[in-house]
Amino acid sequence: MEIPYVVVIILFCLGMYTIITKKNLIKIVIGFTIVESSLILLLMLVGYKPDGTAPILDKGYEIVVDPIPQALALTTIVIGGSVTAVMLAVVIKIHKRYRTLNIDEIRKLRG
Amino acid sequence: MIDILFYLLLLFLIITAFFMVFTKDLSNSVITLPLFGAILVIIFVILQAPGVALAAAIMTVGLTTAFFVITINKTEY
Amino acid sequence: MSRLNERFKKLYKIGLVITFAIFLFFLFYDIHNLDSDGKRYLSEHYISEGVQETGATNLVASVLYDYRAFDTLGEATVILTAATILAFLVPITKATMFGTTFKSIVNQTITLIIPFLAVLGAYLLLFGHLSPGGGFVGGVVLSVIPILLTITYSVDFSEYIFKPAQKKLVENIGAIGFVLLGLLGVFTGSNFLASGQAPFGTGSAGEVFSAGLIPYLNLMIGLKVGAGLAIIFNSLIKEK
Repeated sequence: MEIPYVVVIILFCLGMYTIITKKNLIKIVIGFTIVESSLILLLMLVGYKPDGTAPILDKGYEIVVDPIPQALALTTIVIGGSVTAVMLAVVIKIHKRYRTLNIDEIRKLRG
Repeated sequence: MIDILFYLLLLFLIITAFFMVFTKDLSNSVITLPLFGAILVIIFVILQAPGVALAAAIMTVGLTTAFFVITINKTEY
Repeated sequence: MSRLNERFKKLYKIGLVITFAIFLFFLFYDIHNLDSDGKRYLSEHYISEGVQETGATNLVASVLYDYRAFDTLGEATVILTAATILAFLVPITKATMFGTTFKSIVNQTITLIIPFLAVLGAYLLLFGHLSPGGGFVGGVVLSVIPILLTITYSVDFSEYIFKPAQKKLVENIGAIGFVLLGLLGVFTGSNFLASGQAPFGTGSAGEVFSAGLIPYLNLMIGLKVGAGLAIIFNSLIKEK
């Protein structure tokens, strides 16, 4: 399990790059979504055991996947959705006030 | 067999993420988001997490995309 | 000169991200080495004793609603805060909608789909301690119903069927009911939000009415998440 962690690092840094360098506000929110998805993937990879079954035990199983990261990821997904909704509402408010979504122009208009 | 499928899905995940970040048109970028989420859902099922896969299928693929589409509809005219 | 400055700024940011990636790579390398043969005592305890202690076959539900129920309470508070912030940001105005209207095929199909969605959401809510699913997923599926009505018909029709005051009432019932069910554990002489340790009897694992308080907590969280997401969506679509 060496390669999936590299994928997590690539996705996380891609999201950080989007947040730092892109000019459009909606694209920055997409960067936040990518970062959140990579963190959920990291939680799943930490909890995974080779040849394990899902943590639903109606008979006795030998190898079971760790249930704690799955519980954490379940709350992370729902919280991430509502936080994305709040960010997009703020984006709509900014567009209503400044008539643009470009960060540089918004900064210039504010002076 | 499932290992090859898993690594292919990881490759597709990276490709869709790069496409989502580096396209010029914003609509393309938003429409690629449910594809990214769907690949992530299949990876969760392979990693033995059915509850998380259900939640991600409904939340990331469905509702978040609807939020983005509404934002684009409200902000450009 | 200014173009050189711009180029330098961009290179500076890319270098920052690459440095961060190298740092993360070494960090993960250590974690990976630590992880491969490490023993996790807490999760081993949950896996071996969880079904007997809580009575729920779905271990994720038993972690969410029994062992770590305080975290779920905090998560519910976050959703309540998000819905409140959106209702605060958006003033009460006349709703504006998309330019196009759908053909009757789409409307009839949505009308046919909605009962199945309701059954699926109720199943995910009520069987959350036996199968994958649970309060969060069931609530989100139930919240899709008013969202579909809003998209295909209009905001006015959706708010005529599900009135905003009713949705706020359902959300508050979910929030208060979760806390009251937690206090039930205190009144029977145990901790706050205890269901396995409290003397309710967990029942036999695998039946619908078992696992102590977990099905009722699932129901409350589902009502709360569903109503909260419906409120959030309608607030977002009503913003001008």
